[in-house]
Amino acid sequence: MFIDLQNISRSFGNNPALIDVNLRLEMGRIGLLGPNGAGKSTLLKILLGALPPSSGNGRLLDHDLASAGVALRRSIGYMPEADALVPGMQGAEYVAFAGELCGMARKQALRRAHEVLTYLGLEEARYRKLEEYSTGMKQRLKLAQALVHDPPVLLLDEPTSGMDPAGREGMLDLLVRLGKDHGKAILLSTHLLGDIDKVCDAVVILHQGRILCQGPVQELCRRRQDRYRLQIQDDPTGLLEDLRLEGVQILHDNGRGEYRVQVPASWTTQAFFKLAQVHDVVVRGLQADDEDLEELFHRVIQETKHI
Amino acid sequence: MQLLHYRSWQGTFHSSWWAVWPIARVALGTLLRRKLFWTLYSFGLLLFLMFFFGAFLLAWAESQMAVSGPQLGKMGDPGRMMRGIRSALRILNGSQDTFQYFFAYQGGIVVVMLALAGSILIGNDFTFKSLVFYLAKPIGRWHYILGKCLAVAIVVQLMTTLPALVLYGQRAFDDWEYFWHVNYFIDNDTGKGPAGIVLLFGILGYGTMLSVFLSILLVATASWMRRTMPLIMVWMSLFFFLRLLANILVDGLRYNVRWRLLDLWNDLTLLGQGCLGYASDDISPKLHPEFWEAGLVLIGVSVVCLIYLNFRTRGVEIVR
Repeated sequence: MFIDLQNISRSFGNNPALIDVNLRLEMGRIGLLGPNGAGKSTLLKILLGALPPSSGNGRLLDHDLASAGVALRRSIGYMPEADALVPGMQGAEYVAFAGELCGMARKQALRRAHEVLTYLGLEEARYRKLEEYSTGMKQRLKLAQALVHDPPVLLLDEPTSGMDPAGREGMLDLLVRLGKDHGKAILLSTHLLGDIDKVCDAVVILHQGRILCQGPVQELCRRRQDRYRLQIQDDPTGLLEDLRLEGVQILHDNGRGEYRVQVPASWTTQAFFKLAQVHDVVVRGLQADDEDLEELFHRVIQETKHI
Repeated sequence: MQLLHYRSWQGTFHSSWWAVWPIARVALGTLLRRKLFWTLYSFGLLLFLMFFFGAFLLAWAESQMAVSGPQLGKMGDPGRMMRGIRSALRILNGSQDTFQYFFAYQGGIVVVMLALAGSILIGNDFTFKSLVFYLAKPIGRWHYILGKCLAVAIVVQLMTTLPALVLYGQRAFDDWEYFWHVNYFIDNDTGKGPAGIVLLFGILGYGTMLSVFLSILLVATASWMRRTMPLIMVWMSLFFFLRLLANILVDGLRYNVRWRLLDLWNDLTLLGQGCLGYASDDISPKLHPEFWEAGLVLIGVSVVCLIYLNFRTRGVEIVR
């Protein structure tokens, strides 16, 4: 068992940050999704043993969260959202220092720091002062200090925050590799749906301190029978007009010939092709359009509001 | 970005106590990189050199008196003149006075340095949210606090105890009797107080007391204030305004002498004089509280600081 939480609550004064959180997760790449202020960072710090819960108890990798602080953190690499850098240090020094804090001997820590920085593509910047690092490099450096003692678990708080698209892609690829190829259990906290979509195979949605839903992404996203992705070649104007007349709703047009449509209950897929033939249009693709993570997130939030 | 050659790390981890030294070393490193530190250190060094070469000045004056004493007979009794010179230069003769003055002057520079360095050593961890970096590692918050206190204590020791020991060694090399004979000054009629191993332990005690108290106080106040200017103001209040207030209350308004306990620097000096073997009557200022009272105040302030630090470094701090 990766994480097992029972009735965890945490308040700051009169403000509840987490309310009665129950969570059971197996090892894997888990996304912790929620808007700002949902309680994600608080949950991460409780899992880290750095913040005691106001009530409830829990375990992470068989370590009791309330009592196994040091042993618990030896199994965890934590990448904070804030920069959390030590000004004046060089990149290699900083990562080696993180290793020493984990109990590594100085020489070993330095050797390991160079290894990890090289793996993360920072070998040329390792002797630069931390103040001179770009945002993307700082993010990678923070990942390096979390990886230096080779922990089985990585807790990542907004790892792509402030990164450019290319840097973000690179970081997400790296996280997938760490999880898939190197067996790291990852808990990725973010408010960016795309990050979770790319990296995680399970998701926990947190809102206003409560867990709204949890489980594998594939299972949580509804398989919808009434939505399709339709790809059309040629001028689609006539076809779209007829589709509308038949009661089909055009939900989204990406401007490049791809449409998301919602069909009436009696609709059959053959009807698309028949109408296309009438208008002399080629249907390049047609596939069922299941709910994506973004829709799942909004649906869950909406359902909560109705409750 | 490719992770083609990720290798798992196989080795043994030391206990969390091993992390204390790297924390202190890194904190010291950030301080030693500052020019300000070296400027203030050179001021301290000048003071040390004054004491160091002052001992030679005294020895030279004595040797000159021995050679030219008869010629100086017309100007007065050479013995009396020598006593006068010794009295004027008594703070250079290696007695308890030497170290009392040395610690007092050097301590002043240390206090200024710490007030300026507090934000670099500790405050930045809170300003730049680096505390989470430390507390996310397999160490407890007391390891962190101990590491920071150790860094401050090393700075204090480098500025006070270490040069004081050099002065002690210089005097001992000059005359081995000084090292072995506890009543060296009394028997030779050259000063008061103990010499030898008793004085050595007194120096170590004074330095240790100064480093322990100042390190706890600095770590607590710097984690509270974070920035340099507010920290300077707090330290000015503690070591200047409280001193002024205590003097007004005791010397001006003739309040109970225990009001002088408000003056933390005086408490430190008082205990330091106790370590150096001063008799109660020889202590300046004459109106002073008991040693144990000063000790109690310093312990009380330290405990308050530690309680505050315990609160300050809880996980609550790192949650936004």
